[in-house]
Amino acid sequence: MENDKDQTEELDEFEDEETTRDLVVPGEVLTEDTKNFLPGRGTILNNEGDKIISLNIGLKQIKKNYINVIPLRGFYTPRPGDKAIALVVDKNPVKYKCDINAKDYAQLKPKNTERKGRIRGGRGKDFEHERLSTDKFDIGDILVVKILSADRLNKPELTTIGKYLGKKSNGIVISIDPPKIPRVIGRSGSMIKMLKNLTNCNIFVTQNGRIWLKGEDLAHERLVIESIYKIASEAHTMGLTDRMQEFIIKEKEKRGIK
Amino acid sequence: MPLIIKDEYPEVLFREDGKRLDGREKNELRPIKMEVGVIKNADGSAYLEWGNNKIFVAVYGPREVHPHHLAKPDRGILRVFYRMATYSVFDRKRPAPGRREKEISMIISDCIEPILFLELYPGTSFEVFIEVIDADGGTRCASTTGVALALADAGIPMKSLVSAVAVGKIDGKIVVDLSGIEDKAGEADLPCAITWYNKEISLLQFDGNMDLNEMSEFLDLAKDALGRIHQIQLDALKSKFLTIQEKSDEIIVNKENQGES
Repeated sequence: MENDKDQTEELDEFEDEETTRDLVVPGEVLTEDTKNFLPGRGTILNNEGDKIISLNIGLKQIKKNYINVIPLRGFYTPRPGDKAIALVVDKNPVKYKCDINAKDYAQLKPKNTERKGRIRGGRGKDFEHERLSTDKFDIGDILVVKILSADRLNKPELTTIGKYLGKKSNGIVISIDPPKIPRVIGRSGSMIKMLKNLTNCNIFVTQNGRIWLKGEDLAHERLVIESIYKIASEAHTMGLTDRMQEFIIKEKEKRGIK
Repeated sequence: MPLIIKDEYPEVLFREDGKRLDGREKNELRPIKMEVGVIKNADGSAYLEWGNNKIFVAVYGPREVHPHHLAKPDRGILRVFYRMATYSVFDRKRPAPGRREKEISMIISDCIEPILFLELYPGTSFEVFIEVIDADGGTRCASTTGVALALADAGIPMKSLVSAVAVGKIDGKIVVDLSGIEDKAGEADLPCAITWYNKEISLLQFDGNMDLNEMSEFLDLAKDALGRIHQIQLDALKSKFLTIQEKSDEIIVNKENQGES
């Protein structure tokens, strides 16, 4: 459906063959063999350089000669190119202020909301002024946006120009822990495809932990919401896709929905 | 005329059988219960029951700093707010933060800072709220232990956990984990905390009378107790996820058994 193509490239790091089921916590020693292994994501070499220790609570993963920790809890750090669901919290004539579940509010400039070259023939100061107004969206609107730029120091900049981007006027938005988003998508999109096929809902998953969904009726939507929360709470277990499939079929029978 | 109740402490802090007033050995900790993820709206949270102490810890961040002038352009800041409930102690505690609360907030912040990577989050703040619901000696140690748990639960990258415990001297004997009465009536009190990634002392305060030669004995006793507290911390952090993992394993095993039969 809507965003299958974008997410198929995403790997499910939780179901990766290299991911072990070892739960590690901050400070736990992952290995003392520093000759054969290098510290990867979520890990650090200790001061003496003879141990690799974990920085997060998560699952241990050994990929080639790197040791990583797949976090189970955490916050969203915006990166250029990510898709996110944003809430417009404030606006002035120059820009919108959007909440994207990150440490800073992001800004959306009007020039990034209009496709270039759409309005033709205009010339002069008045036309420019008219074109760059912030009338398009209101405070409280839900937007699907792409992040243009983001770094540690500056506020992230957003755009609504692109495929699937723009204002959402219907549906439900729920939010889960951002590190568990890859699990909701599944390995090459298996989980999200299964959810969509079984419930006939339209689901859009974004990197900042927010999920937009719209189904035929409320019963289907409630089933999807419950399923997503269940996936988030059991993200660190094995064989989740099969279990979720059984769960949904069972619940559908129980609730008497097709 | 206001009712004035004078503080009265027992003269002897050991029972006849050599145990302490609450029935503990010299190197025995009070019963400790830890739990994480208790506050839904916080990014990370922890609840501790340490003897009669009951403490809630909530962590928020990284987020914008208010007031904005406190923000540092080159690194994030860690703000700790230690507060006691009015009903947490025997006399009603005035709700306004006093000198003691500000001091404890500061020392906990200084104690936790070395394990965080604040330089990765410039212009932001991590905010820690500690609410002491019931106090009975050693709340600063219990709070420090709880803050480490809540930070780990929030998913904030950290080098290791921090554990803290108080060692003291009562009736001429060195004991670990002082209770409220022992703290007030005893001779010396030494709260200390350790960062586990380099095993360095991160907090060391002292109050009372003792011989400097006894210091190593104090620290040996503390080290042993801190190890046990660290184990409880690890169990509390992991148990939340392990129970879910075991449940799912059971389902898989049951299914395989059904398939065979």
